Amino acid sequence: MADKIDIENVAKLASLKLNEEEKQHLEKDLSMIIDHFAALSEMDLPDDKISIHPLGMHLNLAEDIASKFLTHEQALSNAPESKDGQFVVPPSLD
Amino acid sequence: MSIIPTIGMETHVELKTNSKMFCRCHVLDTDIPNESLCPTCLGLPGSLPVPNKKAIEFITLLALSTNCSITNDGMFHRKNYFYPDLPKNYQISQFDLPVGTEGSLEVVVDGEFGTVEIERVHMEEDTGKSTHMGSGRIDSATSTHLDFNRAGIPLVEVVTKPLIKSSREAVAYIEELRQLVIDLGISEGKLEKGNLRFDANISVAHDGDKELGTKVEIKNMNSLRSLEKAIEYEISRQTKMLLNEENIIQETRHWDEKKEVTTSMRSKEGSADYRYFSDPDIPNMILSDDFVNEVKSSIPVLPSQKRTVFIDSGLSIEDANSLVKSPNWIGDLYKSVSSITNDSKTSFNWITGELQGQLRKLELKSIPSWLTAKNLSEIITLVKENKISFTSGKEILGKLIEEELVPEEYAVNNKLIQENDIDEISKMVKDVLDDNKDVLERISNGEDKLIGFLVGQIIKLSKGKVNPSVAKELLLKELNS
Amino acid sequence: MDNHKLPISKINQLFKNKELKPSELYSEVFERAANTESVIHGHLTLFQEENIQKALDADKRYEKGNNIGTLDGIPIAIKDNINISGHATTCSSKMLSNYISPYDATVITRLKNEGVLFTGKTNLDEFAMGSSTENSAYGPTKNPWDSSRVPGGSSGGSAAVVSAGSAVASLGSDTGGSIRQPASFCGVVGFKPTYGTVSRYGLVAFASSLDQIGPITNNVADAKLIFNSMNGHDPLDATSLTESKAQQPKLKNAKIGIIKELMGDGISEDAQQEVHKVAKLMESEGHEVVEVSLPLTKMSISIYYLIAPAECSANLSRFDGVRYGNRVTGNTSSEMMELTRANGFGPEVKKRILLGTYALSAGYYDAYYGQALKARAMMKKEFTDIYNDVDYLISPTTPSDPFKFGEKTDNQLEMYMSDLCTIPANLVGMPAISIPTGLSSQGLPLSVQLMSPANTDNTLLDFSQSLESLVAFSDKPSINGVTN
Repeated sequence: MADKIDIENVAKLASLKLNEEEKQHLEKDLSMIIDHFAALSEMDLPDDKISIHPLGMHLNLAEDIASKFLTHEQALSNAPESKDGQFVVPPSLD
Repeated sequence: MSIIPTIGMETHVELKTNSKMFCRCHVLDTDIPNESLCPTCLGLPGSLPVPNKKAIEFITLLALSTNCSITNDGMFHRKNYFYPDLPKNYQISQFDLPVGTEGSLEVVVDGEFGTVEIERVHMEEDTGKSTHMGSGRIDSATSTHLDFNRAGIPLVEVVTKPLIKSSREAVAYIEELRQLVIDLGISEGKLEKGNLRFDANISVAHDGDKELGTKVEIKNMNSLRSLEKAIEYEISRQTKMLLNEENIIQETRHWDEKKEVTTSMRSKEGSADYRYFSDPDIPNMILSDDFVNEVKSSIPVLPSQKRTVFIDSGLSIEDANSLVKSPNWIGDLYKSVSSITNDSKTSFNWITGELQGQLRKLELKSIPSWLTAKNLSEIITLVKENKISFTSGKEILGKLIEEELVPEEYAVNNKLIQENDIDEISKMVKDVLDDNKDVLERISNGEDKLIGFLVGQIIKLSKGKVNPSVAKELLLKELNS
Repeated sequence: MDNHKLPISKINQLFKNKELKPSELYSEVFERAANTESVIHGHLTLFQEENIQKALDADKRYEKGNNIGTLDGIPIAIKDNINISGHATTCSSKMLSNYISPYDATVITRLKNEGVLFTGKTNLDEFAMGSSTENSAYGPTKNPWDSSRVPGGSSGGSAAVVSAGSAVASLGSDTGGSIRQPASFCGVVGFKPTYGTVSRYGLVAFASSLDQIGPITNNVADAKLIFNSMNGHDPLDATSLTESKAQQPKLKNAKIGIIKELMGDGISEDAQQEVHKVAKLMESEGHEVVEVSLPLTKMSISIYYLIAPAECSANLSRFDGVRYGNRVTGNTSSEMMELTRANGFGPEVKKRILLGTYALSAGYYDAYYGQALKARAMMKKEFTDIYNDVDYLISPTTPSDPFKFGEKTDNQLEMYMSDLCTIPANLVGMPAISIPTGLSSQGLPLSVQLMSPANTDNTLLDFSQSLESLVAFSDKPSINGVTN
């Protein structure tokens, strides 16, 4: 049985506001899934450097040639709130 | 029991590539907000990052120039945190496999050489710009405006080891790093434009303590002056607390430019959990030996190398350093002038003192094409040889800035050539003495101050052409006899 | 009119022979939509108006004899997590109900250049997370074979519209089986290509190292056609392959391995029967069928449900109400983001984001996410090794025939188990195709899945095509009493 999941902390990290009911449900569901992982986490697996990609692909870097994509209007077209060409949000402190 | 401060610097260098780090939007310097955007840098659903080759070349150049080991098989990581100016709410950065590690940078602190050790050099992307609207105080803003033009611009982060020992060293380090990125051609290096931004990590401990004290991060220093002041303030604040056995909290503090203090930033208790994991949108970045060698072969003359050349020419470390930190044309001019005049110190003084001083007064940033090493050297030599006074030399220089002329010709035409002939001057001395018998009497009664008056009369008589020191010497001889 | 059920190459022939016009085909397909959408709800939006003109333009091209290619004038439905400029991309989420995309996904650009008509956007499980399309914020899609049953997911809408005939083909996306499983449930063909062969630029990311766009079609030839018109390197996708050389498996006298671990517990008798049936047919053609063991497939669900949520937890962070999306405002921007996300995301999406965040958080990385990456690399090695012995692998596509609505919603692990057979191909990045082969004892479609090594996509498609003719499954569902 894994450690009890601190669902509030995880929700904070994920910037998700959960109500009490959700917290309970999710804690239960997640614990169940995590328990399912027990077998995997106990496996003794080699420590080689792992590529995240299944096919170890080659990275093609892009040439430094600039071009215009979105117009100013397109960029703001889905903005929930904007003013003077800028996106507006409630105050973001720190 | 003395308290030792320890400083580590984290610097972000904006690269001057044409396009952004992970997309091909222009890196624009514009007043129009949200003008240079695409799905990738705006964080639209479905967009993907593709790294900029030039940015990788630039960071490799910087890493090699600071003697770093290059990570041949590196990767990009996602640094996860939520903030409105971060379009994807994660920043593509590098975690445990940065491009460069274990480097160093030679610095000059108070006229002496020092070395700052560099822990890592890594690649990441910049965020957008937030402007807090409202009454102006950060904690009473009514809204925040966001401009994403800057989002995605390539940034190189350079982190030093926590081994810097003073605010002067920290400043010297930033000055050196700045000059390096300018000379490498990878950044404009303008602090006022935000091309170079830095935070300082500061801790204090008792001398002899094996462990470092609690480190405090200081942000919002926008100039070298504020860097120095902020470090000094923070060291003093922490030292007082340490001596009072007060607990220093690990936190991020904000330098208040107006009040000249560091203040606690709200929230942020403890360190954030960024949940780094390698970015699945970007395969491993393999930097081949060929690639690294090609970059290595393109390293231009470094500031430290220029400094060595200047020192070898006869300048002090301090003077050599100031030339290195000046625009290229000044150092080049110095090299030419000092080799013609064969006098490094005098050439240095004329160029950095007189010439730069006059240019500054006229608000000029460079010299006109006719102001060459040759004719500047001519002025310097004329003064050195006492053919003209120093004041005349300044005058000719001033004229030369305005218009093309041949210094010696100008001196002759404007009767600036000094009278150095002993017999001629002796005649003038005798004439002045004859005309000022009352003054002579007063001098013989002890009023030595009036000697200057007599010298002045001699200069007047010669219409300014007499060499004042020769005149004085002959006058004194005459008086003493 | 049944033209929409014909292979695309045949339709193209009819167009070229002037026996049929693109506008006529489009009307046919649109009429099917009018007759079926109220029942199955496969499309979220239909692009009726613009298609009328586009179809007429295609008519003109064929008239003049200069059609663009085989796909010119073909109506294809697009899963609503693929961006089409000027149209909504909702990902079946409340979060994006008002989002209009300003750009085309690369696959869309490529298909547009072929003259394809996009019928509209299809329904999916929200943000592609699910196996039944019950997680859509806009209501589920019904299985055309039985409207009390799920069409599968997450590309449920895309599979249903092909099955119902309101599109000739569709595009879906596959992260853990989201093309193949709904294709199986709806009795149509679904193909997931080798990872990196089809650009992901413009596909709203779920799990970046697993996602692939692929076709859902009436037959294998169509899937091959569409795949080859979309594939190829894309400089806008750093995970897009530049070369695809590989040793190709045999087409004649091939050796096929039945995966032992996917033929036992948890797999219905009916599903296993299909595999045996197909095995016999293959043997009659001169192929050899053996049993193989891939032990790590037993860990697939665990590995997948660590990697996918971890990646998605970061991929979905951008949905914060700042630059787009349904904002719920707050006193501070961080409050606004928390409320926007709480309101915009459905329960399954929230669950996976939290699961992923947890797996990556300090102290847990090594035990969970780190382990999963290692296990995945080992699984890849297991598959690569097995392909030294066999040319292809075969298994059921799904553990059972389509289940009923609500049947698995209370049991998350059971729901996740629906992907048991399909997940491995995503984890190892190799191609996989689902082909309908028969009906279950309840008269519902069953399929088998064929897999092959990386970069052998066209060979796999060719082999599947020959299998398809052997099997000769041609059943279609009837909706409102009207058979497709």
